[in-house]
Amino acid sequence: MSAATDVRPVSSAADTWTIGAPRLLAGLDALPSLNLAAHTAIHGAPPAMDRDRLLTLLDASRLSGRGGAGFPLASKLRALHGTHLRVIVNGSESEPASFKDRTLLRRTPHLVLDGAVAVAAALQAREVVVAVHDAAAHESVRRAISERPGRGSIRLVRRDGRFVGGEARALVRGIDGGPTVPPGRREHPGLTGNLVSNAETFAQAAILLRRGARGFAETGTHDEPGTVLLTIGGGVARPGVVEAPIGTPLGILLTAAQAAPATAVVAGGYHGSWIHPFPDIRVSRAGLAAAGGSLGAGVLYVVDDATCGLGELAQVTGWLAAQSAKQCGPCRFGLPALAADVAALAAGQPAALSQAFAHARAVDGRGACSHPDGAVRFASSGLHVLQDEIDAHRRGGCGRRVLGRLPITGGSR
Amino acid sequence: MTALADPGARLEIDWTRCDGHGLCAALLPDRITRDEWGFPVIDGRPVPHADEKAVRRAVTVCPALALRLTKP
Repeated sequence: MSAATDVRPVSSAADTWTIGAPRLLAGLDALPSLNLAAHTAIHGAPPAMDRDRLLTLLDASRLSGRGGAGFPLASKLRALHGTHLRVIVNGSESEPASFKDRTLLRRTPHLVLDGAVAVAAALQAREVVVAVHDAAAHESVRRAISERPGRGSIRLVRRDGRFVGGEARALVRGIDGGPTVPPGRREHPGLTGNLVSNAETFAQAAILLRRGARGFAETGTHDEPGTVLLTIGGGVARPGVVEAPIGTPLGILLTAAQAAPATAVVAGGYHGSWIHPFPDIRVSRAGLAAAGGSLGAGVLYVVDDATCGLGELAQVTGWLAAQSAKQCGPCRFGLPALAADVAALAAGQPAALSQAFAHARAVDGRGACSHPDGAVRFASSGLHVLQDEIDAHRRGGCGRRVLGRLPITGGSR
Repeated sequence: MTALADPGARLEIDWTRCDGHGLCAALLPDRITRDEWGFPVIDGRPVPHADEKAVRRAVTVCPALALRLTKP
């Protein structure tokens, strides 16, 4: 691995690159974005499909949601209740470390729309709603909708919102004119007739409809066919949004990204986990779960040995605490307490470690949404992986500065 | 549903409503404790039929209407 001499954060001009043949990112090596003509030339027209055939395809391909929770799309379809169905593309992606959904919406919006429109047609849903936070994504999708013949059935909404505003039930409330915060009841959005999934999931569905289950499974693993979009960043010289076969070894991805020697990798995002950077870890849901992490939203950020890992952890934990909607007491008070513990550890106070784990336990599972659970997973896994760093800080410090390998700004607003 | 198959009711908290008044913990000390910020910590045990009356009372007096007894 070469040292990261020019480490840049993933920016709005995020590079895209691929390992293996591109599917979702096809054409983006040559063109900055695909209008309808370019899109159709590259991908062809999407086949129409009824509900039964769509479900057969989704079952055969085991396509699961790519927004974080990884729920099978077929199960989401079957869980839909009611006659007034809506298909909602969740394009909020309010996490500073993730850029893949914004990349799709900004550069190949028709692929996302194709998937959403096809699913809506199969379900005989009344409308497609595309919800974005980000101005550039909004403009791109607006232009794409105006190019399409069936534009009347697609509604574009832009809601400001913090991190939890992208949570599926919060998103649905926002679309319907309510506050973009999660409701108190743990009720599945399907019960109210809303199929909510993120932009990549609909783009993958659009690929699946064209290729069929067999073609879709030409790459990937047996249990998780296809490709995955990753946002790779942190201590790497070649950050970007990357399409790779599911199951690609972590070492291959890090080498291709020209990663600096890694202390740890943040996998899944800021609701995901810190893992040791073993090169043979397979980047799939099963592979990362076996390594104690999660694929989550497809985020892989390198915390390299030039930055203070514990300081990076403290900074993001503080950001997560600030993202609380402050509706639920344990999250509102517990996450800042946890963040203060991690900061105290970084300042060399060893007693803060047991306190951090106690506060983590006190918050876990005690909120209306999974924000506290995800924040606790992030912080606890970081404390486990960074034991050597914690020791160094106990002995007077690691001697490194916090270089901001884990961004806390740049989430879409 | 038969008595045999009844898995029992469960206490649930609507965290968006709970303000940590603490009445529930005072009324049901063997089921509910309070964390360092005063918010209730419920054990996950199902509520047997014999306890339902006392539990319902706690549900009724919650000033924030945040406590619920849910039947599966």
